Amino acid sequence: MSFSRDTQERINRFSKEQSQNYLQDAEMTYMEKLRKKSGQTKRKIDKQLSKFRGRSDQGREAQDDMILYMSDYMNDLMSQGLTEQEAFDKASKELKFASNSEQSEDLNERFQQYYENRDPADYEAIGLFYGGFLFLGLGIGGLTGFLTGGGYEAFFDRGWIDTAIGAGVGIIIGIGLGQITNAIIALKKK
Amino acid sequence: MDNLSEMLKGVLEGIVLEIISRGEIYGYEIVKYLTQMGFEGIAEGTVYALLMRLERNRLVNIAKKPSEMGPPRKFYTLNEQGREKLMSFWAKWDFLSSRIEILRNNGGNKHEL
Repeated sequence: MSFSRDTQERINRFSKEQSQNYLQDAEMTYMEKLRKKSGQTKRKIDKQLSKFRGRSDQGREAQDDMILYMSDYMNDLMSQGLTEQEAFDKASKELKFASNSEQSEDLNERFQQYYENRDPADYEAIGLFYGGFLFLGLGIGGLTGFLTGGGYEAFFDRGWIDTAIGAGVGIIIGIGLGQITNAIIALKKK
Repeated sequence: MDNLSEMLKGVLEGIVLEIISRGEIYGYEIVKYLTQMGFEGIAEGTVYALLMRLERNRLVNIAKKPSEMGPPRKFYTLNEQGREKLMSFWAKWDFLSSRIEILRNNGGNKHEL
């Protein structure tokens, strides 16, 4: 039994959307994962993403599978007396992805906890720590390099090299300290 | 029988593997088979997801054949890994059902368990 053009298009649309939900994350391309995660802005970025390779072979195959599966189911329902519209409504309701796996429940819970515990002040503090350590490292490193390199008199000769090395090392130390502080804050919030 | 879905969750994979072991079959045909057997409460989405899982875990061989509806239709058969999984399922089932039967027949007599 074939469906009207409108229904066939709706089946295709439904299958395209839902089949990707059934695919485990491991089987998705990066673009598909991105699409799934960015539900709210999906339509906006879809336009951009469609320029790239947006769908894996597995994704396309899953969509084809679902089209056939849904069509079979709808045909079965229609043979029992349902109209095409009723069959589509029932099939789409039954086949709509319901995320009930333990893994997804766990993920949902963790996301929820993350957003509940999320405090903008923490991010501000982390940023300030990074900035503070960076400037501190730059200052101390640069000054140490400047002084050990012979000070003002030797600066334009070869002293600037020591100053630059000192500043570079200072920046690296500053970033390292920033990361340690970030880790401490993250562990405290756990 | 109503409200079987909760109890079937753990065994549906074994049931579907057994159905596939009987011969080449496609997705919705399995649903029809289950319905004929009286498993009417199983959501169609559950079987679809299960088939994807069997495929991903490489428990089935797949043959694609042209369909009248456009995309090629997938027909499933069990491979060696699937057969092993099925045997393991039946071994577990035998163990479980025998224990449950003992429990049922002996009632609350702890010493005879």
